[in-house]
Amino acid sequence: MKKFDLIGLARRNLWRRKLRTILTVLGVLIGTTSIVVMLSLGIGLNNSQRKMMESWGSLTTIRIMQGMVFDDEGNPQGQSKSLNDDAVAEIRGIEGVLAVCPAYELYGDVRLGRKSGGLSLIGIEPELMGQLEFAPSHGRLLEKGDRNAVVVGSKVIEGLFDEAERRQMERGTFDFESGEEKDPGEMMNQRLALTVENMGGKRKTYNFMVVGVLAGDDIEYSYQALAPIEEVKRIRHFSLTGQSGGGGAFSPNVMDLGGAKAGRGRREDQTNDYSYILVKTAGVEHTPAVSQQIKDLGYDSWSVADALEGIEKSSRTVQAVLGGIGAVTLLVAALGITNTMIMSIYERTKEIGIMKVIGATFSDIYLLFLVEAGLIGFVGGLFGIGFSYGISKIINYFTGSFFGMFWGDESMGISLIPPWLALFALLFAVLVGLLAGLYPAYRAVRLSPISAIRNE
Amino acid sequence: MAALIEVKGLTKKYRVGQEIITALDHVDLAIEEGELLCILGASGSGKSTLLHVMSGLERPTRGEVWIKGVSLLKMKERKMAGFRRKYMGFIFQSYNLIPTLNALENVTLPLLFDGVSKKTREQRAYELLVQLGLKKRLKNKPTELSGGQQQRVSIARALVNNPKIIFADEPTGNLDSKTTEEIMTLLREKVKKFGVTLIMVTHDLEIAKFADRVVNMRDGKIIQISHHQHNQQVSLEGKFAADGSS
Repeated sequence: MKKFDLIGLARRNLWRRKLRTILTVLGVLIGTTSIVVMLSLGIGLNNSQRKMMESWGSLTTIRIMQGMVFDDEGNPQGQSKSLNDDAVAEIRGIEGVLAVCPAYELYGDVRLGRKSGGLSLIGIEPELMGQLEFAPSHGRLLEKGDRNAVVVGSKVIEGLFDEAERRQMERGTFDFESGEEKDPGEMMNQRLALTVENMGGKRKTYNFMVVGVLAGDDIEYSYQALAPIEEVKRIRHFSLTGQSGGGGAFSPNVMDLGGAKAGRGRREDQTNDYSYILVKTAGVEHTPAVSQQIKDLGYDSWSVADALEGIEKSSRTVQAVLGGIGAVTLLVAALGITNTMIMSIYERTKEIGIMKVIGATFSDIYLLFLVEAGLIGFVGGLFGIGFSYGISKIINYFTGSFFGMFWGDESMGISLIPPWLALFALLFAVLVGLLAGLYPAYRAVRLSPISAIRNE
Repeated sequence: MAALIEVKGLTKKYRVGQEIITALDHVDLAIEEGELLCILGASGSGKSTLLHVMSGLERPTRGEVWIKGVSLLKMKERKMAGFRRKYMGFIFQSYNLIPTLNALENVTLPLLFDGVSKKTREQRAYELLVQLGLKKRLKNKPTELSGGQQQRVSIARALVNNPKIIFADEPTGNLDSKTTEEIMTLLREKVKKFGVTLIMVTHDLEIAKFADRVVNMRDGKIIQISHHQHNQQVSLEGKFAADGSS
């Protein structure tokens, strides 16, 4: 028998008992919908957690800091290795590492147009900037050969104030809350003058040109400025000259960015060490392994992905539980399919016999019933997916504003159905249908053709 | 072996509760190609069982059946289905048409199982139904047809795969005498025209007269075999008609 004829015959047989078929399909529809919606909640939750973490920084970037090394329980294991060029070479050799970028960080007073304030300046390799997941919203990133160029974070402007604003602040009338949104673009192509004071109390001003503004508003870089490392090295060198070995260059009020970096200590004796090293991995999946290897080498590394692993583990558990609830519903639907098919065989005993007598093979009969059961699964699955998208939209509509308050992004839904989930659900529904049809098909095959042709 | 179907020492026993019933008791029979054979007997004489065993639907307790020298008993079920599909047609007392399919689709069904394309099988079914006078009933469901019409559809179904043998189990058992006459004349004409061997089981002496040879059965045994002189003429007429048309 040809496949096309087989499916045609199966479709006809199902359609002859419309109500019963529709009710059975409805069971599969509900089962599929419950699986898809449950899993979509898990996926949506996972996704929003991930997005939240991405706002803390890139998932493919690892930051290696000076200071203490801690074990998994947070017990100090001693000083980490120095962050010098040897360290850069060593880390570059780890598998899964795409780029290693050493960075200096220093703090100074800046003027930008009529505004002034404090700013922390990071020196990085200009040619590596493109690889480190920086993206400009205005202008460009640093490039090889840049000297007095600087790329500023989008929120830098919010930390700088002009004279009028300063006076308002002194009088206590400055309104931090409702101050009109400052456009990051107005920093473009402006002169940024950085004034640094060295150990001996001497002041020196360095001029930069703003060539780009970073996109995004993650806390890591949006309040900082990035300049070529050679330039920053020079400034740093100046700031460390002078008399005593006091820690003036590194202002003690450098922002502490996240708890993981709280253990950072300063060592003034190793003045040529980098402030930190940024490591770019080949992908999110490499980040935890690379991070672990860096720790094993004796460095203090931190990445958002470290935290992600734990969260993903727990969200997998949530997904398994939710998916399980959905699976039970589909199991009930599978029993419905089996029941329908067995009833159908009772009704069609004679017909099955006739088909055998006029030349249907065992496998023809077996396949016919299997295809009928599979078809119920397929149609139920197909409509179930459509239904799931609808329910997902409704859930997101009602929960959107609620979660929007937390994550500030109302377009992000709690229920998310990726294409692979829809496809998986359809295949699963068909598979369940086929499995449910195995026993009825076996019964149909075993029916004696004699019973059909015996005269009543 | 000259005979199309050869049956030797065929015995079939059933167990019904504690009792063992012998439906066939050492039956020997040879059927020639193109023959119209009638197996005549009362209810319970074993005639239907003989038909089932000869068509491979039932396995005998003992004995052998050869069709064109091929032993049916050694055949696997899968091959048997193919064998039935290629060489045999069936006609039943209660027509046994599939109620959800229309006349045309019922006739095409054996070809569908054989993997014949839709166009070819519908063409073939259409031709047969027209020959059987059902041109206006092609799209009717079995319930919308009279008994005689339904039996004509089932004759078309039996003929559609160009079989060598047609097995008919009380083909007119549910029909009135006028329709019986019509159907039998038609059936005889068709099998003679296509050169098909017809093996027909009945308890009706009236329709036995359409056969070339009548086998009388009682208690699972063949008690008499008679040739119908009268039918020789009908046979010749049939042959003449067939020659004239070709």
